[in-house]
Amino acid sequence: MDNISLLLEGFATAFQPQYLLFAFLGVLVGTAVGVLPGIGPAMTVALLLPLTYTLDPTAALITFAGIYYGGMYGGSTTSILLNTPGESASIITAIEGNKMARMGRAATALATAAIGSFIAGTIATIGLTLLAPVLAKFAVSLGPADYVALIVVAFITVGALLGSSVSRGMSSLGIGLFIGLIGTDLLSGQARYTMGLLPLADGIDVVLVAVGLFAVGETLYVAARLRHGSIPVTPVGGSWRHSMKREDWKRSWAPWLRGTVIGFPIGTIPAGGADVATFLSYAAEKKLSRHKKEFGHGAIEGVAGPESANNAAAAGVLVPLLTLGLPTTATAAIILTAFQSYGIQPGPRLFESQPQLVWALIASLYIGNVMLIVLNLPLVGMWAKVLRIPRPYLYAGIMTFAALGAYAVNFQTVDVFILLVIGVLGFFMRRYGYPVAPLVVGMILGPMGEEYLRKALQQSQGNVASLFLHPFAATAYAVLAVLIIGGLWLKRRRTRYEAALEQALTSEIAVVAAAETADLVPGHDAQHELDQRDRR
Amino acid sequence: MTNPTPGGLPSGSEGGPPPITKPSLAVAPPRTARRTGELVFALLVIALGVFALVGAFLIRVPAGARVGPTVFPIFVSVILLAAGVAVLVGVIRGHLGTPEESEDTDPDARTDWRTIAIILALLMAHLLLLEYIGWALAAALLFGGVAWALGNRRWWLGFAVGLVIGVLVQILFGELLGLSLPLGPVLGWLGPLI
Repeated sequence: MDNISLLLEGFATAFQPQYLLFAFLGVLVGTAVGVLPGIGPAMTVALLLPLTYTLDPTAALITFAGIYYGGMYGGSTTSILLNTPGESASIITAIEGNKMARMGRAATALATAAIGSFIAGTIATIGLTLLAPVLAKFAVSLGPADYVALIVVAFITVGALLGSSVSRGMSSLGIGLFIGLIGTDLLSGQARYTMGLLPLADGIDVVLVAVGLFAVGETLYVAARLRHGSIPVTPVGGSWRHSMKREDWKRSWAPWLRGTVIGFPIGTIPAGGADVATFLSYAAEKKLSRHKKEFGHGAIEGVAGPESANNAAAAGVLVPLLTLGLPTTATAAIILTAFQSYGIQPGPRLFESQPQLVWALIASLYIGNVMLIVLNLPLVGMWAKVLRIPRPYLYAGIMTFAALGAYAVNFQTVDVFILLVIGVLGFFMRRYGYPVAPLVVGMILGPMGEEYLRKALQQSQGNVASLFLHPFAATAYAVLAVLIIGGLWLKRRRTRYEAALEQALTSEIAVVAAAETADLVPGHDAQHELDQRDRR
Repeated sequence: MTNPTPGGLPSGSEGGPPPITKPSLAVAPPRTARRTGELVFALLVIALGVFALVGAFLIRVPAGARVGPTVFPIFVSVILLAAGVAVLVGVIRGHLGTPEESEDTDPDARTDWRTIAIILALLMAHLLLLEYIGWALAAALLFGGVAWALGNRRWWLGFAVGLVIGVLVQILFGELLGLSLPLGPVLGWLGPLI
């Protein structure tokens, strides 16, 4: 009951005009960067970290949370409308959403994605509201050894479960941990890996790493193989009000809820973030659907479910972030840095020490969701236009703001040089299939892990076994083992799944392309059926 | 997905070139060049691991510290070494990584090293010049240059847009954040206005 009054107080804070404005700016920027290829919420939050110098913590965190939520909404618009063959299978929503768009049902796909995101986001935020305080109360009793266990779990799941190759994920994590080590050790005052260079004495700033990897690395990667010619954006066509027919509602509501139920817990446990959730939801919908034949040809369930799962998982990720100080995605890791730059350490004590801030932040998530559905349903046409920004300008802008962000860290050009070096690293990592998110998480979580490890060992007089003997820590390691086995099994299934889908899609694209050039009515059965149903 | 299926490698290729996992749809760069690149990267990860390990023993441990500043670095070195070796072995056995997919890339295109070099040179020029010619001009150079390198046909427009962005950012930064980016000689007269 007490929490409800705290939440109401949070709403009172979040409804103040200036905080509403920051929430709106956050979701607006978030949707924009979600829509635009080449940038994402992680990089945007990193670029905006200097805001923490001037804004009060509540305003900055509300903005960042808005960007985080907004990025999730915007991403679906891109995967549905941007019609670039070959890419489709990598984002689950794109498989069905893109097909629907090509059949002229783009508005329906966008609507079911946006409404699903709203429902899932809201339910998951309710879940966060209820779960977080309870978990925080429990987490107060955790000792350093338990935190070591949690951080190890996060390392392994983020490193091994993200991306397509376990060894590459762990390499990326290792590089991140190493970058986190560079600088002066806080406990002993010793310089580590600075090679006597002054700019390295304070360590490498998170902004440089995140922006270098995500902005410069991505720009170089795109520059290497830029897709020239016009940008194949499918027109939205029609307003959303008329696009969702009764049949569409009937087929969407259950996947929305199922997606939420699948996504939220997966986001909460450190199990590789939203990717796994969207895939599981897709698989579940395919299994349960009465329209199995439509899957792969534009089944609405395949958009509604995964999109909801995605947003629910995004909200779930905030639970360990706020209650344990444990980020499991790159964006969450950078939001953690924002907290730290105010001297606030998220964790079990956060709800006691900063109740106003936390509850205002949670309240702003509800408000942000409402803003987002307005931004993404009636105004989706605007985002479709944003998607058409000429790529040379888009990437020129990304580079310019990346350089600005790097320079603004300390007003030293050497930082821009470090940015460049990390950008080159990011380019090669993408090229050779190393996921970059584990690097960011490793860099931010590494120093925390070291601190807890040393505390734990100090308490136990250097007895390593004690790290595993705490009941909670032991449980965590046991769960980790299960997660690894389950995760690897899932990944194998997913790879097979995607390979099959890819093949289906490529042949389909060929058929569609042939039909289009011959100016024929698309002749696919399922498509035909849908067309007819639309006309009714 | 050009992901090699674990285990199920065709055993037909005897003696000859490295086993080809399956005919992939998009073999952008020649496979050998890609393999070499992957090997080099894996070796660099291992080298970083060695560097981290050697470096860990060079960190001075203050007397009396039970858990000194070297424990965690050793742990990190082990991760780097183990993961690097695992990648290396995988590459040698023919398991290449899956290049990241991005909306704006064409998986069939050849790597355009020239554009990459130009963009890096522009960033380098930007950082070397910005304290002399001012941030706005350096930003215009970077923006216009990158847009041109990526195929912007109206190159002058790129530089003009870059200049507008540069001046706006310069003013916004000074006004809102109270942080002043270097103005440089050309825009020096703006100084008293901000």
